[in-house]
Amino acid sequence: MSRSTKKGPYVDEKLYMKVQQQAESGNRTPIKTWARSCTIVPEFVGHTFQVHNGRSFVDCFCSEDMVGHKLGEFAPTRLFRGHTNKKEGIKS
Amino acid sequence: MPRIAGVDIPENKKILYSLQYIYGIGPKTAETILERTSIEPDRRARDLTDEEVASIAVEIDSNHVVEGSLRRQLQQDIQRLKDIRCWRGERHRKGLPVRGQRTRCNARTRKGRKKTVAGKKGVKG
Repeated sequence: MSRSTKKGPYVDEKLYMKVQQQAESGNRTPIKTWARSCTIVPEFVGHTFQVHNGRSFVDCFCSEDMVGHKLGEFAPTRLFRGHTNKKEGIKS
Repeated sequence: MPRIAGVDIPENKKILYSLQYIYGIGPKTAETILERTSIEPDRRARDLTDEEVASIAVEIDSNHVVEGSLRRQLQQDIQRLKDIRCWRGERHRKGLPVRGQRTRCNARTRKGRKKTVAGKKGVKG
């Protein structure tokens, strides 16, 4: 058993509470969150999150396949627009 | 030449090593297979009786994922990462290293042969 399995998954408590509230009320509005390191647990499936990427919120609908991943994996923090081209100038 | 797990034909080597020619079987799995079928690892592959070969085949079939099905499984795992649009999936899609290695230099295994860019620092173009 590795050290990380012993410690169990990290789930942001406030976010978890919000998800449970939503589950009770049946309300499925996106939840804004900064908790990128929060693991997606089975309870999150079917909920939509808006995960902060440092600049804006990225919509993320949790499906069953995503369980076990972190929320941050679905909100990329870097923007790559391709390399500059010397002849044609800088690509926009 | 014995045939185990479909197409693989290991030969004049000790059975412990010839088993490792099967995709998905390394030193450790080969060892456990021989232990469970109680065949001495030092015997040559050609010296095995048909029953022994059959028992190895049964053991592999029932307890190990090997060859085509293993390749398919790997491919599916990667496809799953791509489908859920997570970071690792994106890295697979772009053909860049997946586990956080640097890409400023090196990373040639994933990126393939060098593509020289004219006019870049250090290159006379």
